[in-house]
Amino acid sequence: MSSLEAEPAPGGSVRFLGHRRAYWRLLVRGALLLMVTLGIYRFWLNTDVRRYLWANTEVAGETLEYTGTPLELLIGFLIAIAILIPIYLGFFLAALDLGTIGQMSGMIAFLALGVLGQYAVFRARRYRLTRTIYRGLRFYQSGSALLYALRASLWWILTGLTIGLAYPFQVASLERYKMRHTYYGDLAGRFDGSGLRLFLRGLPMWIAVVAPIAVTIGAFIEVVDWQALADAAAAGGDDVMGRIESTNPQIADVMVFAMLMGGASVTFAAVLYPVYQALMLRWWSSGLRFGDIVMTSKLRTAQVYGAYVRFVGYAILFSIVAAIVGGLALVAAGLLAGGEQTSIFGEVAATVILLGGYVILALGFSTVYRATVLLSLWQLGMESLQLSGLSALDQVKAAGRASSPIGEGLADALNTGGY
Amino acid sequence: MQSGAGIFFDGITSARHDVAVTLGAASLVISDRTGNVLANWPYNELEPLTAPDKVLRIGRRGNLALERLEIFDADFAHAVDEQAIHIDRTGMIQRRQRGSVIGWTVAATVSMLLVAWFGIPALAERIAPLLPVTIERKLGDAVDVQTRAMLDTGKTGTAFECGTADSEKAGRAALDKMIHRLEAAAGLPGPLRSIVVRKVEANALALPGGQVYIFRGLIDKAENADEVAGVIAHEIGHVAHRDGTKAVLQAGGLSFLFGMLLGDFVGGGAVVIAAKTVLQSSYTREAESAADAYAAALMNKAGGNVRALATMLTRIGGATEPGMKILLDHPETKARVAAINKFADAKSTTPFLDAKEWAALKRICAG
Ligand SMILES: [Zn+2]
Repeated sequence: MSSLEAEPAPGGSVRFLGHRRAYWRLLVRGALLLMVTLGIYRFWLNTDVRRYLWANTEVAGETLEYTGTPLELLIGFLIAIAILIPIYLGFFLAALDLGTIGQMSGMIAFLALGVLGQYAVFRARRYRLTRTIYRGLRFYQSGSALLYALRASLWWILTGLTIGLAYPFQVASLERYKMRHTYYGDLAGRFDGSGLRLFLRGLPMWIAVVAPIAVTIGAFIEVVDWQALADAAAAGGDDVMGRIESTNPQIADVMVFAMLMGGASVTFAAVLYPVYQALMLRWWSSGLRFGDIVMTSKLRTAQVYGAYVRFVGYAILFSIVAAIVGGLALVAAGLLAGGEQTSIFGEVAATVILLGGYVILALGFSTVYRATVLLSLWQLGMESLQLSGLSALDQVKAAGRASSPIGEGLADALNTGGY
Repeated sequence: MQSGAGIFFDGITSARHDVAVTLGAASLVISDRTGNVLANWPYNELEPLTAPDKVLRIGRRGNLALERLEIFDADFAHAVDEQAIHIDRTGMIQRRQRGSVIGWTVAATVSMLLVAWFGIPALAERIAPLLPVTIERKLGDAVDVQTRAMLDTGKTGTAFECGTADSEKAGRAALDKMIHRLEAAAGLPGPLRSIVVRKVEANALALPGGQVYIFRGLIDKAENADEVAGVIAHEIGHVAHRDGTKAVLQAGGLSFLFGMLLGDFVGGGAVVIAAKTVLQSSYTREAESAADAYAAALMNKAGGNVRALATMLTRIGGATEPGMKILLDHPETKARVAAINKFADAKSTTPFLDAKEWAALKRICAG
């Protein structure tokens, strides 16, 4: 029994046991294969990532286990495609109609696919939960995906209409719905986070980002002579800009002002984004409950900034390497494509080099982001958790069954997936 | 090492059981402190499960309950590994599986690219003739609305369509005469609808369902009626081959293949766009060559001058086109001209319009 004593006594904390190096290797190999297979490898990569994160997350002395397989994801995706083809075909045929149906079809398609995307989000969550095993029991999720989809869609509309002000209440409401239907064995989950609290915490950030834009719009309304502007634009011809300037002499100043304000808004958004992420993560994980088990998060904002600093560092390193290699590749592409007598083969080779370069760049930054920011957020989010009431863990009974992976497939096909 | 310690979860409750694990003759026996046997798993049914590096976590294959055994001692884990065929801590099995996955996914990618190159145009070729004319008409009408909106910028202040004003009616009549002669020779299943529009580019285009747009720039640049007739014959070729409908089918097929099955990764958007552009260009290059051949045959049949089309192409196409060959949506002019001239018969031809009619056609957009 000597080996057992080396293990930490089950405490209230969560640990992350993974090594960054192993995670990097997994991601880099995955990125290369994604490129070669034009994305088909994603089912295997996503499964590998989840297995790694789950297996290395230790809660009260026991690690989680992810039992999903890549083949399940692939099948779920193929089923989703089979569901979506008739829908897309229907919208295509509807768009051919010259009457109101045809004109409305784009709008209807947008709304319908939006609702379907939310449906997929809920079902994908069910798949992931039922593939999560802890201490020999699985998590599961009840509840209606359709009800969730309608609820989420209405919230999104409200959030859009209020320029994001309703978002905290949306997250709180949807999270309550999800957690109310989440179980670990027979232990029921719930969510105690308050939308109002999140709203008050987030309001200063919202103002910092939205205010410059609002001021700019106000300035436009104040300064611009709209009638003259409309006339100038409607007259058409080559010198629209010139005519607009002569009728609205102040428009150039307002344009400069708008650009400055837009820059300010974007800068605020970029600088405040880690603060926002830390706030969301702390608020969300402090609201999670399973029976008597209560979670509180001690996540500090500086830690999240640290993750982004590491991202920027690696991104710069990668950019330097990419610039050197890319320069050489460009020379090669120029040699292949240049010259008077270009062959089809040379053109294809040059295109493949340029395109490959772009894809490597995009995938490279995405990999750096996943290996720094996303991994750190997972690790920080988990390690900052304090759990109490863990005695409840000793008598949880098994419940729930593994669910189908269709939701994951739909989420993948509609691009609404998560981890 | 025949026995060791472990932690066991029975899959019924979340309680941890500190257990003794014994390696039997053909199975692994898990028993609690008092010696009660909790589980007895045959070696060939042991299944490795994901766990952190230092832990061996195993379950039993095909087990509906999620029974889990965790072994922390490295030596004992090795002893279990020796017995169980499906457990392999060196990662050999995993590497072999990964190798076959990579092989299959790459093969799937290659086969889908082949479908895009050969399969989609072949399918469009087969399906387009099967579509009822009414559907093609509907498709054409929808495309027509978009085409009109795109072409008609409404800036010139005059009507977009030529040949409607009184002074232009004679030109319209000349055009109709020309088109009737071509149509009679072509024997299309449906009637052709043509319209001349006030666009200065020397161009013409055919929509699904038999709508043909002729730009005034084309009539301006032409030096005789047969040159205009040759270009219209080319557009009739597109109508007869149902190229507009095929293009819609091909675009749909490519969108499905690259939008849904492939290209779903960061940076994949560029791959999708590039692949679609290159493939669609190659499809239309073939369609253009076929339409040229059709136009040459039609001109011969209608008693027109085949070489006029070649002359016209040379004049509006220029000698060489800039840009990449794989992105060109029609073959190089030199090659087209050579191909068309091969069809030219030696027999005498009848001009499509007399001098007076030709002069009237020239003024079809005079307003
Ligand atoms: Zn053509």
